[in-house]
Amino acid sequence: MALRDIKPTRSELINLKRKIQLSERGYKILKMKRDGLIMEFFKILGNAKDARGELLRRYERSVEMMALANTVEGAIGVKSAAFSVKEVPTITLKSKNIMGVVVPQIDSSKVKKSLVDRGYGVLGTSPVIDDTASSFEELVESIIESAEIETTMKRLLDEIEKTKRRVNALEFKVIPELTEARDFIKMRLDEMEREELFRMKRIKARSTS
Amino acid sequence: MVSVSAPYIYVCTRMRVRKAKLLPREEYMRMLNMSIPEITRFIEESQYKQEIDELGTAFNGINLIEVALSWNLAKEYQKIQEIAPGALKKFTQAYLRRWDIQNVLTILRGKAQGVKSGKIKEILIPAGSLDIKELDRFLAEESNDRIIDLLKMHRMYPVLAQGYPSAKETGSFSQLENDLYKQFYEEIIRDARSGSIKGGASFLAYIQLEIDIRNAKTLFRLRADSTEEDVRDLFVPGGTLTVNDFASLNAIKDQNEFIDQLKANARTEALRALLEELKGQKSIRDIEVRLTRVQLEQMERMSKRNPFSIHPVLVYLEKKKYEVFNLRALARGKESKLPSEKIAEYLVI
Repeated sequence: MALRDIKPTRSELINLKRKIQLSERGYKILKMKRDGLIMEFFKILGNAKDARGELLRRYERSVEMMALANTVEGAIGVKSAAFSVKEVPTITLKSKNIMGVVVPQIDSSKVKKSLVDRGYGVLGTSPVIDDTASSFEELVESIIESAEIETTMKRLLDEIEKTKRRVNALEFKVIPELTEARDFIKMRLDEMEREELFRMKRIKARSTS
Repeated sequence: MVSVSAPYIYVCTRMRVRKAKLLPREEYMRMLNMSIPEITRFIEESQYKQEIDELGTAFNGINLIEVALSWNLAKEYQKIQEIAPGALKKFTQAYLRRWDIQNVLTILRGKAQGVKSGKIKEILIPAGSLDIKELDRFLAEESNDRIIDLLKMHRMYPVLAQGYPSAKETGSFSQLENDLYKQFYEEIIRDARSGSIKGGASFLAYIQLEIDIRNAKTLFRLRADSTEEDVRDLFVPGGTLTVNDFASLNAIKDQNEFIDQLKANARTEALRALLEELKGQKSIRDIEVRLTRVQLEQMERMSKRNPFSIHPVLVYLEKKKYEVFNLRALARGKESKLPSEKIAEYLVI
């Protein structure tokens, strides 16, 4: 805001003072929010690291089990067993609020199944299919868990970035400009007051002479 | 002296000759040190050449090897059904009917999932009584109900007609699959027990061994899965141990106590020795492979004891199946870069 555009009036000064007070209060709150979000982020970061590690470990195991299943049962046996699985795991997306940030909360249908519920017959398959199915079920569970944690992290990061920008804007732009404008109006009002006083004195002196 | 007809002697001798032509242990050990191109060349230059040439235009790489091996197996089984005489033919056909179950279930499941016919056909192995033409006819049908109608004359039909509606409703074919296998064993036991066919007793002895080993494998699998549900339905009746025996064995919590109980009921010394070794053994896959090896050893013994019976035929059928299994395992294992020692653990030699 250029100083020449400012009207040096008392009402403008009052207005500016109010704005400064509000900006400072907003700045403090946003700074607290930013710090709080950063703390939350670091708390989730630990979980995310564990979840990602577990996901990679399970992925490697699933790939290994698939290789083993292809070795033991052949692609024919594996495909034939895969035809048995009809049910696709479903997820229910809810949301929760972390310091004003809406993050997803994923509830999934039971992915891990018992041998009897998998859809293929026990009498026509071998244990390597059980182990492969089980490792992929665990992998899907890990993917769902990681999806929830990593989306939360991403949203928190976006919000931290946004809050940081607002705090910086308030600290380095809005509040200094408002303060400068307030000081300018104060100075102008003082000057106008002095001019008025001087003018009054000159009139009084002329009228007495 | 028991008189044996000439066709029996002829077929049993042919089976022994065919069995002698199967790959020996040393070849597998040599192949474990080969690379994939070397294994491929080895298979291409062996008895599987014709199938590799025929299927070369439709498949390539490791899939070509796998499909060629399966088709060779199917062709070999069909040939044996043709040359087996009288009761041997009947028993062989009954024994190979398990492939019909596998193929029909694959088609039903594939169709239920909306998989294209071409893709389903790639994983069919027409080694049973349903040849590729019949399977093609099923694949051409639009609905599973029509396929079941086409199977009206087949032995599977009553179980399919009864079990399919609930499988269709729930989307799970597991119960139907288990019922079909149970019906399969029930029927071959009935065939073997009917005094009208000569050699039924030796066929029955083998089937009971197979059921016992199959139930033992199921038992180990259920224990590994810690299933709490009623599992009686998952065991095949007709073996030397009853379904109730297996269900009560499954209820024993302690692994060593469970193995001791199973050992006390085992009929053969080889099985008892294996069960003793399995104490403390954790890997269910390893247990399964070792049980299969015991089953094959036992079959081999039976075939030596009864040289002109169904046993030499069954031993050849099984050993041929495991030759295909081993070659596929070697090729797939090498492709997946599994270490040779790991592949060797799963070979049934």
